Order: sequence, then structure tokens, then C-alpha cells
Amino acid sequence: MTNLPRTQHILASGLVALVGIWVAWLSFTGEPARAFLFPRIISVVFVALAVWTFGKALLGKTKVGPGLSRIATLNILPGIVVMLIYVFWAAQTLGFYTASTIAFFILLSLYDPAPHGEIRTWVKRVLITAGFLAVMYGLFALLLGVFTPREILF
Amino acid sequence: MEFLLYFGDVFSPFNFMLLLIGTIGGLILGATPGLSPTMAVALLIPFTFKLDATQGLILLGAAYTSTVAGGAVSAILLKIPGAPANIATTLDGHTMAKNGQGARALQLSFISSAIGGVFGVMLLIFLTPVLAQWALAFGPSHLFWLAILGVTVIGSLDSSSVVKGLLSGCIGLWLATIGFDDVMGAQRFIFHSSVSGGINIIPALIGLFAIPQVITMFARGRQQHGAEVIKVEKSPIMESIREVFRRTRALGIGTMTGSFIGLIPGVGGQIAGLVAYDQARKTSREQKKFGTGHSEGVIAAESANNAMVGPSLVPLLTLSIPGSPTAAVLLGGLLIHGIFPGSDLFENYPDVAWTFINSMLIGQILMCIFGLYVAGLAARVAQVPNAVMAAVVLALAVFGSYSVQNSMGDVYIMAALGTGMYFLERFGFSAAPLVLGLILGPIAEANFVQGAMIANATSSMAGYFFTGALNLTLITIVLASIAYSVWMELRQRRYLSKEDTLEREEQPS
Amino acid sequence: MKKLIAAASIALMGLAGAAPAQDNYPERPVMMMVSYGAGGATDFQARIVTMTAGNEDALGMPIAIVNKPGAGGRVGWNWLATQVDADGYTLGAYNVPHFIAQSIEGGVEYSTDSFEPIANWGADPAVFVVGADSQFNSMEDVVNYAKENPGGLTFSGAGLYVGHHIAALQLEKAAGVKLAYIPNNAGGAGAMKAVIAGDVLGGVNNLSDAFRAEKAGNVKILGVFDNERSDFLPDVPTMKEQGYDIDNASVNFRGVMVPKGTPQPIIDKLAEIVPTMFENDRVKGKMEAGGSPMHVMTRDEVIEMWAAREETLKELLSGL
Repeated sequence: MTNLPRTQHILASGLVALVGIWVAWLSFTGEPARAFLFPRIISVVFVALAVWTFGKALLGKTKVGPGLSRIATLNILPGIVVMLIYVFWAAQTLGFYTASTIAFFILLSLYDPAPHGEIRTWVKRVLITAGFLAVMYGLFALLLGVFTPREILF
Repeated sequence: MEFLLYFGDVFSPFNFMLLLIGTIGGLILGATPGLSPTMAVALLIPFTFKLDATQGLILLGAAYTSTVAGGAVSAILLKIPGAPANIATTLDGHTMAKNGQGARALQLSFISSAIGGVFGVMLLIFLTPVLAQWALAFGPSHLFWLAILGVTVIGSLDSSSVVKGLLSGCIGLWLATIGFDDVMGAQRFIFHSSVSGGINIIPALIGLFAIPQVITMFARGRQQHGAEVIKVEKSPIMESIREVFRRTRALGIGTMTGSFIGLIPGVGGQIAGLVAYDQARKTSREQKKFGTGHSEGVIAAESANNAMVGPSLVPLLTLSIPGSPTAAVLLGGLLIHGIFPGSDLFENYPDVAWTFINSMLIGQILMCIFGLYVAGLAARVAQVPNAVMAAVVLALAVFGSYSVQNSMGDVYIMAALGTGMYFLERFGFSAAPLVLGLILGPIAEANFVQGAMIANATSSMAGYFFTGALNLTLITIVLASIAYSVWMELRQRRYLSKEDTLEREEQPS
Repeated sequence: MKKLIAAASIALMGLAGAAPAQDNYPERPVMMMVSYGAGGATDFQARIVTMTAGNEDALGMPIAIVNKPGAGGRVGWNWLATQVDADGYTLGAYNVPHFIAQSIEGGVEYSTDSFEPIANWGADPAVFVVGADSQFNSMEDVVNYAKENPGGLTFSGAGLYVGHHIAALQLEKAAGVKLAYIPNNAGGAGAMKAVIAGDVLGGVNNLSDAFRAEKAGNVKILGVFDNERSDFLPDVPTMKEQGYDIDNASVNFRGVMVPKGTPQPIIDKLAEIVPTMFENDRVKGKMEAGGSPMHVMTRDEVIEMWAAREETLKELLSGL
């Protein structure tokens, strides 16, 4: 258990180093060479620093970064799933305001500490969602006329 | 003193009402996480169609002034900077808010914004011709060195590990090269269609700061109210005013750096806040306190980014060249009324020009008064339950990154970068150096390429980049900055390793 | 619950799709993409010429401008050619010769076949500018300097394969000299700053921007890259008058287009209404006040102009 952050640090810095190597490979094979001069310089420094960090992680000398605890991971997982569905699918397919209303309500239900059993808390959640989205819609869509994806409803 | 003649115009009832609307509206839009000042001003342009030129500019001038200060509100309370100019404010401002001193941080930021801002506008009024020369003095080679100067700040910024700070900066520099390269038009690293247009700085800024905040709120899970609520300390306004004037060094450095770096077209506005913060830290007696919620950090950063407002308009008003994205939007607002900014602006349309400048001056003060008035209230944002805040910020982040250029691709970039940043932050990387890399990369590259082309056509590379007073001065500052960082790093290492050994002895492994 | 929402959304979408979309086009606000930044000449003019779109005698729906700047316009046009629904609700502003030259040079996903022109609103010729205190007073001075210092005359422009670059190539060819063209990453405004600041000896820039800079006393305009003199600058001679055989191939034509695949009835409707929007008196007044030369052309004229431009550009760029 005490080694968990260290393993995580090795994985994380290894991943960053891999990205660095990938960038360097692309930079040095990319054409035209003149356009890739800058990426080449950057990628050399990038790889050097990433390898250094990776080495430090291997030796267990990483000083900063608390890593991820099991509880935190379990806590963020549903939120991230909702967020990714909202951003990568719903906002475009359902329209911005519809998708936001749904995502807002789901997130509120997932993370609001009030007990799920009572009707009052559900009413409160619906009211908060409706209130916030109404303010946003009124200010941005009606008053300032900002363009957002519109599919169903508004 | 000509500007005094036109003060009356600002105070006619209708104009003053516009000024109030611009100031308060700008403050609210600027404080909304996810909306940049440029965006906020652009949103107000359609309203000026129905007004005459003077009235339209009063609205825009007041809005420009207060959106910049408004950006500090979300930077302090939510750690989400409204614009690149507010990045430095998050470093100490948000830490203060977490310690329950949100109201004080806001008051400090409004007061120093107003002082810096008034100074900046005064420069605009009295020194425009001199400043125009200064803005023009920066050619490609100088801008290149200026960007390099910005890079030297990266390592020491908001990260307890210099190596990881630099690595974060490198990731940012690389991200900036994605897309078409600006000069040659070659495609680089386009691995998905949504990055084919490159990574736009505003969505990236929103993602890198807002999304980690949202996920951090998720991580707390369904905790009960009592455990989490931050106590918001009351903060007497007089106390904050006294505090600002006690920190004259930070205030002076912020104001001067903001005024003079801020007016360099294309670069200044983005890095003025960070350079001012860095300089204030290096010259402070209480260096160690920076980053832990120290008032000097907020004062330097905020006086710098509002001091920039006045001078940043100098290239626009005298040379008709917009020096920043917001200035470009203002240019559109002027042209639509048939007014050509330029050196004869003050002769042909003195009423328009001076009323515009006066409205910024009065706007600064109104912004400060209004800001101080609501600071205590705004600080209570810290008490909004996690779940609500996370959902609000997420919705605004999606909205803000989409509306920059009506592109879902930008929203994907925002979410992807932000989610990645959360995990990177867990391992000691930080967002501020990454964003700085993202901003400075294109500036350094484009000016290097252009400088090299000019050098090849006229003299030699060495002659172009390494001679001339301004080049040499900038190179000296760059070297001094690097030397200073190295020295600090060595000193800190000795200090850290002692702590490390202590820790290791305590922890049997 | 999820199924229900999905079913409802499908039903709603089905309803929207079933309505005869083309007859009452446009039913909602239309978006127009400008592939240059806010505040630039193209953006500014696009905003003016579309401001009356909401009027009853025009489209009856407003047109919202969306900026997609980057890489000399390539970012925006790539997006328009490949990523938008061709349903008439997304228009684009074109800049000729920019997008045609870029498609000839390659590396982009569009060509003249990817778009359908609607109408042209403006023609902004390129001009040669030098700083107000420059030693050059005519194109002859410039060319003589270039002859004495081959490849040493630095001059700025808005990028590679844009109108300014075409003008630069034409000048090199017509005068038989080698010049050092420095493309600027910050577009026309950046290129103008380089001239005023003395970073470069001269520059090619838009007539509309140069006109403003000259009025402000910052630059001298030495020649116009067009067949005739401009109404805004009656005293500035064309290149031909100064003895260089240069035609109007670099003139920056600005207009409205839609992606290929847009239904023909919608194209026809737009082609009929949009030119009348440009002729509106309020629009004309604002354009004049902003120093922007107008040149309204109908869809058929634009199709011809595109084809002619493509031919001359192919010839000019083949020598590179």
C-alpha cells in the first residue's frame, strides 16, 4: 500500500516520457524540415526532462504529487463519465441547453450530500437546475444572443 | 489637460447610465468563469449599433476596463483565470480564498486594479507619443527575446519541482505547435480533426484550470455540509486599503511592469501579469510566503493587468494597429461608426477620443467602488455546495469554450486537456507553466522565423539577434533571470534535502 | 427513463426533419464563418454587409459571424469544406485569390469545387506601402534598390499564398528582381506594424488598411496592384502606369459562399437575396465610412471570376 504512489508516479512519468518520444519521432520524421525546426528543439528538451523525471520516479525520489487514492478515484469516476458523455455526445446531439440541464441535474444528484430518500431534496435539486439554466438562457441566449448548438427543445 | 474639457460628457445622465451598465455588466461577464474579456467586449458590440459613436465607446471602454478586473474574481474564488492576464492572480489569490480570506483577496485585487488602471490611463493621456515609439521599438528579434524571457519564468512558477515545471512548460510549447504552422502553412501533429485548427488559447485556458477544479470537487464525494464549508472571514475595507499601500514595492513593480510590458503589441498583455508576479517575488523580502496566500502576489499581478488596459490601446489609437485581441474588437467597434483611429483621431474626433479615455478612467474608479461593495458577498461563492459549483462551472466551461468560435472541436480540446491536466496535477505537474508555454511558443517561433528571414536578407543572424541596445538589454535580463533561478534552486535543494532525510528517517521503508 | 428520452428526442428530430425545410428557409439564424480574426478587414466588412440580413425584405433571419482564424485562412476553409452540414445554415466568407492559391499549392482539403459561390461584396486591391519617412518615393526607387541589393529588399505581407504574396510574386516577375518577402504571422495588421516600425523596408497590404494608415500619416502608398486606380486613392498610380506589367490577379475579392452539397433551391434563394443585401444604402454608407471598396457581383459572375483566377494563379505559381 505504501508503494502505491510510487508505482503511480512511475506509470505517470513513463506515460509522459512515451508522449515525448512519440513527439520527437514525429518531429524528426516530419516534412518539410523547415517547418519542424521548432518542434525538434522542443521535443529534445521535452524528452530529456521526461526521462529525468521517469528516472527519479523509478528511484522513488519523486518529491511532489500526492497521487490518486482509491476513494478519490471511486468518487470521481461517475462524475467524469457524466462529463465525458455530456461534452462528447450530448451537447452536440441534444443541443446545448437541453444537455446542460440533464447533465447539471445528474451531477447534482450524484454529488449533493442531502439524502436521496426525501422528496424535498429532489424538489430543491430541480429548482436549482431550473433556476441556473434559466439565468444562463436568459442572459446568453435571449439578451446577448450567443450562438449554441440547438437541437431539441431549445 | 485637454481631457478635462470632455469630462462633462461622461457625466450626462444617459452617458453615465451607459458607463454604469458597462462597468457592472463587464464585471459580471468578466467574473463568469469561461468568458474571456475579449469575448465579453465582443458580446456588447451589437448593443453599440443603436448608439452614436461616443456613447458606444463609453459602453465599450467601461466594459473593457471592468472585464479585466472581473477576470480576477473567478481567478481568486475558483482558480479559473478569466484571461491569460489573470493566471498569476490564481497563485496567491486562490490560496487566500481557500484560507477563508476570499473577501480580503478580492478587495486587494480591486484596489490594486484601480490604482494600476488609473496610472495606465494617465500614461495613455499624457505620454501617448512616447509610448507609441516604445511599442514600435520591438521588432521580431526583440519579441523573440521577450518570449524567451517569459520562458525563463516557467521553471519557478507554481511548482515545487523545477524539473516538472519545465516539463509542463515543454508540454505547453509542444501543444502550441499543433495545427498549421503560421508562416509556412505546413501541417503538424494533426492526429484528430478537432485539432486541425491548432489549439486555441482560450478553450485551453478554460479546460486546464476549470476542469481540474471540477474533478477535484467530484473527488470530495458526497460529504456532509458541515465538514467542508469554508469560513469566510469579514474584511474591513480600510484594512485592505492600508495593506495595499504598505506593499508599495509590489504595487510599484506591478504597475510599471504592466504599463510598459503591456503595451508591446501581441505579447505584452498575455505575460505582463506573470512577469510582474515573478519580479515582485524576486525582489520581495518575504519571498517564501509567495504562493501561500501572500498579499503581495495578488497586488503585483492585479495592478499589472489593469495597468495594461490604457497603454495596450496606444498602438490602436495612434497607429490604428490593434495590439491585443480585445483592441481588435474595439477597432471593429470604432470603424463601424466611421471613425479611423490614428494619430489624427484626437484632432478630428476629440470628443469621441477623450470621452472614451475618460470613460475608462471613471470606469476604473466605479469598478473599484462597486467591486469593494460586493467583495464580501462574492466571497460567499466559496460556500456554495460542491455539487452545485461543479455543475455550474462545467456548464459554463462548455459554454465559454464553444462560444469562442462556435466549434465543438474546441469543447473537445477543452475537456480532453482539462481531464488530462487533473491527472498530471496529481503527479506534481502544474497548469500555469503549461499555459505559459502554450502562449509563448507561437510568439517565439513566429518571431524567430521572421527574424531569421529578415536577417538572411539583410545582415547575418548573429548581427540581427545579438546586436542593438534593446536586444542586449533583453538578453542580459534573460541571463540574470536564469542565473537567479539556478541559484535559488541550489539553495532550496540544500534546504529540501535536509527535510527529506528527516522524513526518511521517520518513515521506515 | 433514458430510453424514453431517446425515443422522445428521435421523435422530435423526426418532426423537425419531416417539415419541408427548403420552402421556408431560413427558419433559424444563419451562421457565417470568417476565416480571419475579429477586427480584421474581412471580419469587419462581413459584419457590415450582413447586418441587414434580419430585415423582412432580406433573409428575415440574422446572420451571426463566427471567426475561425489560423494559417492564412486554411483553418476556416478546411472546416467549412469538411465539417459542416451543407444545409444552408452555415455560410462562409471567401477571399480570392487566397483560398484558390492555397488549394493549388496543396496540403488543404478544399478547392474551388468544394464550395458554391453566392455573391461577391468587395474588391480590395493590394498596394505597396513604405514608412512615412522612407527613402523610397516611387516603385522605381524600390526596384532600383532591389537591383543594387538582390534579395536584400525586405517587405512584409499577411502570409504565404494570400493576395499579398501573389502581388509580391507578380512584382518580382514583372520587374525581374529578387526580393525578400517576409510573411507575417499576425496577418495584415502585423505586416503593417512591421512597415511602420521599420522592421522591413516596405510591404504589401490591403488598400483599405493602407488608406487608413496613410490618413494617419504613418505610411506612403507607392502603387496599386490593380488594373485601374482606386476611388479612395485617385493620386496613386497603378503598377502598369509605372511600367510593370501586373494585372488584378492579387486583388482580394471578398464574398459569400456555401459548402458543396447545399440544396439547389437554397443556393438559388441566397443568390437572389444576398446581392440585394449588399446594395442596401445603410450597408453602402457604413462600408464607405470604413474605407472599404465595394464591388457587388452575382453568383454567375463570381463563378466566372473563380475560374479565371484559378487559371492565372496556376500559371503564376507553377514557376515556384
